[in-house]
Amino acid sequence: MKDNTNDNKAVSCLPGGLMPAEQWTLPQTSVRRSLKDAIRHALKQLQAGVSQVEEPFESMDELPELSAAQQRRLAPEPDYAHQAEAIACSLKQARSDGSLSREVVCLVAPPFSGMQQALTRFSEPEQPDSIQSSDETWRVIAPPDTLCFDDQEASEWWDRQDLSRPWVIPELADFWLRSLSGLALIRELFRRIANGDSGVGIVGCSSWCWRYWGHYLENAQMSPWTPAPMDADRLGAWFTYLASGNGKSMIVARMTGDGLYVLPLPEADDAENSKSRKKRKYSTFLRDLAATSRGNPGVALAIWQRSLRARPDDDAKLEETDDKTDKQSRAADCWVVPLGRLSLPSMPQSKESVTGFVLHGLLLHNGLDMASLEAVTGVSTYELSLVLSRLKRAELVTCDPLDQRWQVTPIGYPTVRRHLQSWGFPLDQF
Amino acid sequence: MFEDLGVKDAFASITGQALLKAMLVVVIASLITVAVQKVLPRVAEKLGGKPRLYLLASVPLLRLLIIFATIVIVVPILVEPSFENMVAIFGALALALGFAFKDYANSLIAGIVTLYEMPYRPGDWIEVDGQYGEVRAIGTRAAEIVTPDDTVVIIPHNKLWNSLIANGNDGTDNLMCVADFHLEANHDVGRVRELLRDVAFTSPRTKTWQPVLVIVFNKPWGMHYRLKAYPFDPKEQFQFISELTARGSAELARQGVKFVSVPVSVG
Repeated sequence: MKDNTNDNKAVSCLPGGLMPAEQWTLPQTSVRRSLKDAIRHALKQLQAGVSQVEEPFESMDELPELSAAQQRRLAPEPDYAHQAEAIACSLKQARSDGSLSREVVCLVAPPFSGMQQALTRFSEPEQPDSIQSSDETWRVIAPPDTLCFDDQEASEWWDRQDLSRPWVIPELADFWLRSLSGLALIRELFRRIANGDSGVGIVGCSSWCWRYWGHYLENAQMSPWTPAPMDADRLGAWFTYLASGNGKSMIVARMTGDGLYVLPLPEADDAENSKSRKKRKYSTFLRDLAATSRGNPGVALAIWQRSLRARPDDDAKLEETDDKTDKQSRAADCWVVPLGRLSLPSMPQSKESVTGFVLHGLLLHNGLDMASLEAVTGVSTYELSLVLSRLKRAELVTCDPLDQRWQVTPIGYPTVRRHLQSWGFPLDQF
Repeated sequence: MFEDLGVKDAFASITGQALLKAMLVVVIASLITVAVQKVLPRVAEKLGGKPRLYLLASVPLLRLLIIFATIVIVVPILVEPSFENMVAIFGALALALGFAFKDYANSLIAGIVTLYEMPYRPGDWIEVDGQYGEVRAIGTRAAEIVTPDDTVVIIPHNKLWNSLIANGNDGTDNLMCVADFHLEANHDVGRVRELLRDVAFTSPRTKTWQPVLVIVFNKPWGMHYRLKAYPFDPKEQFQFISELTARGSAELARQGVKFVSVPVSVG
């Protein structure tokens, strides 16, 4: 019984589980939607040179955006401990059915998939049995403070790491810099993995970083695994799971324009009155969202959070239910703004190459501080601060106040990826 | 002679109204051509990347279509499109062009060949007779290229018949760049090749999915290395080569590998 509950949780927080990276496919969308997106992207590029529009986000909808409390209730951030369990279950499953036999498994995921946060939870003391590897706890290998090593120093650094018991690297992108002295650590790690003298381990890696190293080490065959892409059904199940909290509430989301249903999904509706279910018409929002976010859960969640609306009186109702005990079931109604009417961040007009270097550098390294960004892009600090402030105003990047690391925002990621593609930069495979 | 060809008969039926009509069509076609030639390159500059190349390449093609459509519309307005009339008009035209504007006609015909053979398109980086630059426009008689020193060079299309035309990117956005390093002998060649490869891979301008190659030649004066890689945008080629050269030189100097510093006479 307990196993079933765990399995259901794993299915809900990592819909589709893990799969070999070469089997990953982009969620499909309608031709009309693809054309619309392409034309809109081209027009935005043309407009960038014609008019200086205001850069901050502006809602096009009359209904107010969700308050923080509403967002926590209706579209909260995922619990990464559960995701860690789900990953561990998937890996165990893959090992038991023989599809995964390597001692060191590489898990590649696009940015904002939550892979890094989940893998970090592998070493937590109260980890469940599903995560433990043959009675041994996982040890997280953290990157060194400085990443500039020569080959000898890199080898010595890895010698100091305990690879005799199961280890996990939550994000490989933290172990390198795109500079001449910043490649040695990863090069040495891959050499050890290829030689088979690195024990049992998990390497989590951002898809951008992975693509770069795939080109750099042409002959390395690591057969990475990846989370399944979030198609419309998986997104619907995942959003429902996130909003359900203790699993007893049901979210009802409808489009603002035509009232078509987004959630609950048709299958989840089975328990309800069959007559009313038959009358319901469903929107293609989730399918479009899956395509816009390229099946990336973090990006989809950011857009979902932004597209949700609630009436002011619904706010009070939600607060009220929040105060009640968890035992009471509740139904939360919210409205969804169509993707076409949602103002997602757009690229400010600037020198393509410098903006591209900055954004590409941030994605390759999964975020960087100013000094490292200067080292990998060759752009001066002065110019960097100008570019970054513009990108920040446009909501494309953000700076973590704790470690001063700049990162691309999940909501800005589709725009950034599309522009980097237009400008000719190397992309990831997802 | 023109009477023998029947040209006089062919044009006998032209009225003032028909002439006016034909002129109107030609003027409209010219305006559309000018608009296409001015607007599309500007739009292409805004788009960048592959869309830019496709849009630039469509300009001469659109112009050809407009010219063809204009001829198809104008000829029936002026003369009755019978077989005899067509033979008369085109025969006379060929004779006139053959005698009076031989070179001009040569370039015009080469221009038409250029449009379907496409040895170069707008956006391509080509070298003709020692002149290297980006093709800015393809006219009826000649192509315009802009050199890296921002000089416009007009290249008549008839160069197509008897000159070697080198095209760096051939309608794509993949343009290989080469940075040369002339080093003194007696160093670890394998290590230097690895190092130069890393120089290319750590440049933010490198298209990492394209091959990065380091070729080495043993010369009487030392070793000649050629680092070959692709920049993300052909327009970045000179910045790219400069960056590879500067960073490569600095790293080689740090490793104690010396450059050949005396003039070298080749051959």
